[in-house]
Amino acid sequence: MFKEFVEKKHYSFHEGFDDWRDAVRAACAPLLADGTIEKEYPEIIIEKVEELGPYIVIAPNICIPHAERGRGVNDTAMCFMKTEKPVSFDPNDPDKDARIFVVLAATDDEVHLNNLMALSETLSDEDIVAKVLEAKTPEDLLKIEE
Amino acid sequence: MAKLKVIAACGSGMGSSQIIKMKLEKVFKKLGLEAEIYHTNVGDAKSQANNYDVVFCSESLVGTFTGTKATVIGLKNLLAEKEMEEKIKANIVDA
Repeated sequence: MFKEFVEKKHYSFHEGFDDWRDAVRAACAPLLADGTIEKEYPEIIIEKVEELGPYIVIAPNICIPHAERGRGVNDTAMCFMKTEKPVSFDPNDPDKDARIFVVLAATDDEVHLNNLMALSETLSDEDIVAKVLEAKTPEDLLKIEE
Repeated sequence: MAKLKVIAACGSGMGSSQIIKMKLEKVFKKLGLEAEIYHTNVGDAKSQANNYDVVFCSESLVGTFTGTKATVIGLKNLLAEKEMEEKIKANIVDA
């Protein structure tokens, strides 16, 4: 999974963001750059979170920005981002802070399902998550054994 | 116990809800419970919730399901099989 992020240039590293909306936009930027998504996609994700709350933060430190298939997506891919400082989604709930972001974009169900399985397996491993939190460069990502 | 009808919900129906479904399949199997598990977005899940025994969703979406007859279980950590196992035991097995 990490090898694919690096090979496809689907990654970015940042210090932090004062507004979670900017974090979502930055996390999506590499997918926008290579045409996987259109610029409306991050805005659709943001609207949904504003409506429903931070459901995209699936575990402490882990956020998977995504929206319904169909609008603003041209291909199936995932894209990684890490911040040094936690991004806050709910000032009253520190459990909803995130530092690891994996954007999901999907047009193909089968590829998407395989991506999700790999993602869920990998990020369920606390040792891997600890290493991802330490990573500062793409080289660091490649050293993580899955 | 009869086969449970379970629905996993998230904001879009294509990310978190599928992860919940994958995890639940493992946990139900481990507990020896039979369950049919579907996944969808919250809007859909809300309109169908009365046809299911249990709804699983992220904690932040629990409020959406007020008034439904199904047991609604909110998850803090969608990747934590332990949390799912404990909540299934408390809300389904021992309920």
